[in-house]
Amino acid sequence: MVIALNWLANTPDFAVPYALAALGLILSERAGVLSLGAEGLMLVGALAGIGAQLILNQPAVSLVVAMLAASLASLLFAVMAIWLRVNQAIAGLALVFFCQGLTSLVGTLAEWTNKPTPGIGTLPLWPLSALPGVGRLFEQNAMVWFTLPLFAAVTWFLSQTTIGLRLRAVGENPQAADAAGISVTGYRFAAVLAGSALVGLAGAYISVVSTKLWIAGMTGGRGWIAVGLVIFARWSPAKAFVGALLFGGIEALIPQLAAAGVRLPQYFVLMTPYVVTLAVMVWVALARRAGDTEPGALGEPYVREERR
Amino acid sequence: MAEAALPAASPPSQATRPVRLPLAGRRYTLGIRQHMPWPRQALILACALAAGFAISAAILIAAGVPANELLDEFVVQTFFDAQNLRAVLFQAAPMILVGLAASIAFRARFWNLGLEGQMVWGAIGATAMSMYQIGPESLRLPLMLVTAVACGMLWVLGPAWLKLRLGVNEIISTLMLNYVAANLLLHLVYGSWKDPKDNFPYSPQFRVFERLPDLFGGVGSALLIAALMALLAAALLSLSRAGLYLRFIDANARVAQAVGVPVRRMIYTAVLGSGALAGLAGFAVVAGQEGRLTQAFYQGYGFSGILIAFLARNNPLAATVVALLVAALFVTGRSLQVFYQVPFSMVQLIEAIIVVCVASSDFFIRHRLRRVGGSA
Repeated sequence: MVIALNWLANTPDFAVPYALAALGLILSERAGVLSLGAEGLMLVGALAGIGAQLILNQPAVSLVVAMLAASLASLLFAVMAIWLRVNQAIAGLALVFFCQGLTSLVGTLAEWTNKPTPGIGTLPLWPLSALPGVGRLFEQNAMVWFTLPLFAAVTWFLSQTTIGLRLRAVGENPQAADAAGISVTGYRFAAVLAGSALVGLAGAYISVVSTKLWIAGMTGGRGWIAVGLVIFARWSPAKAFVGALLFGGIEALIPQLAAAGVRLPQYFVLMTPYVVTLAVMVWVALARRAGDTEPGALGEPYVREERR
Repeated sequence: MAEAALPAASPPSQATRPVRLPLAGRRYTLGIRQHMPWPRQALILACALAAGFAISAAILIAAGVPANELLDEFVVQTFFDAQNLRAVLFQAAPMILVGLAASIAFRARFWNLGLEGQMVWGAIGATAMSMYQIGPESLRLPLMLVTAVACGMLWVLGPAWLKLRLGVNEIISTLMLNYVAANLLLHLVYGSWKDPKDNFPYSPQFRVFERLPDLFGGVGSALLIAALMALLAAALLSLSRAGLYLRFIDANARVAQAVGVPVRRMIYTAVLGSGALAGLAGFAVVAGQEGRLTQAFYQGYGFSGILIAFLARNNPLAATVVALLVAALFVTGRSLQVFYQVPFSMVQLIEAIIVVCVASSDFFIRHRLRRVGGSA
């Protein structure tokens, strides 16, 4: 019982990076830009967050710095994929490897590796946190609480606002959107930059809030898992939220099992998130049906001069 | 496209001499360029590479390498020093193999990003033969090679099947399997396969007959295997029916299917061949370089393979040349690490910068600027 409660209480902490990264990816993929660069952008966010934290020691500022840094890095991808019409898979992969090399280099040269930072405290959601027993579930950090309205806001933005509608139009049928006077390039740029800021925030959450230090390559494939998660969620923020809780729950279970004295081979346990991602991808493929919500022009560069 | 048709729209009096507008008043639009003569294509590629090298040099200087040492470190020391050249050739064998592996998979439009995982499996398979002493001593090395190839193929079979049968995105599936393979490797080298002699996380050293022998002048036989594979791949892709089919599939898989090309079978063949070559690369590292299974031997090969295939446009012979250059970059990266404390991740950063520059340069080959309005 105590273990189950601990597990549930720790799940949000592990779920937030997946949730934020998936939300950011949905934003840019709904505009038709296939964002494979999440793993790299998360690393940029994580490093920038820790750097700002070590220099300024203001968690809120650090998180904003991380978002800006990730947006800036994604500019490289946006210019390649949107302006220069480079194959979006190649541009995304190049961004990941660029960011991996850059963050590892900067982290080493600036000597930010393995330096602990204080992180941010918990923000108990008062009357609920005073409940006996389950009160622990409501003692989360501020970022966990911040994620919830953020999801609501993005869902509302995509489904209820004119700008959100136009953004989806650009991702669904850029030719039609262009003919209707919507700037395909402008919307795609904005979607990539805004989405990347969220992905960077996810990375900064891992470094600044969760582990409270920087290690090169510390995101460990979570960006790729988020890419898979978005496919699993069929580009819907609400489903992505559920998926993030699922992955967070699995990751939170690992230390709890160890604490409970369950002896499992360590490295096989570490494989679980990746195996689950694969399983989820297979499940989605099997369950795929008509009326799919995949953006129609996902991954296709828009070239006005090419008549179709 | 219709450049010649434009002036005709203007009145005859102006047609002979277009009015030059001030720069701010001119408007341009992008057009698709159908064809560009190859000398200009080569010029653009050279400009892109030069830009990539310049950015890389700037970063290296910022990271603390003296500017006047750059040329010396990268060219003179690497290619004109016998010992370093041998190191480059030593490094080149697995590099050529991963470059070929990526090229063949990309020819079938399959994003095999699992090269590292397949290398790990190849290495594990080869090491298992040594650990459990399977087969007679004289046959041990060939047996290790065959096992490595089989293991690499098996590790890519899953993603290939999932993609062709269920449409599962192979980028995600192959990458996820990389992490699984890497954790399995750690499980082995920290667990039951750990060398009992000194308790470091690697397997016991291979016996002499389990290691790839040196040929002339210290060049390993791994390089010979890699060169043979490159020739074989080049011959198959340019001369065989399978190579022709793959070109069909690369151009348009649906049309290829319609005219009777066995698309699925060809994609399976290419992808399994890719996995086999990656497994072979893993074998080349453990049996040719390390002499044992180590915990991080595969790192950096996955992206290097993609880079090589990308720069070589999936051509096996060009891939061999590019692989030699990437191997030189690796060797130089290691010496920069020793002499100037530049982290090895610099190598990956330089690779990424070059990919970005070359990928972007394609835009200038495929598009042209056309002036519209006013002046015409």
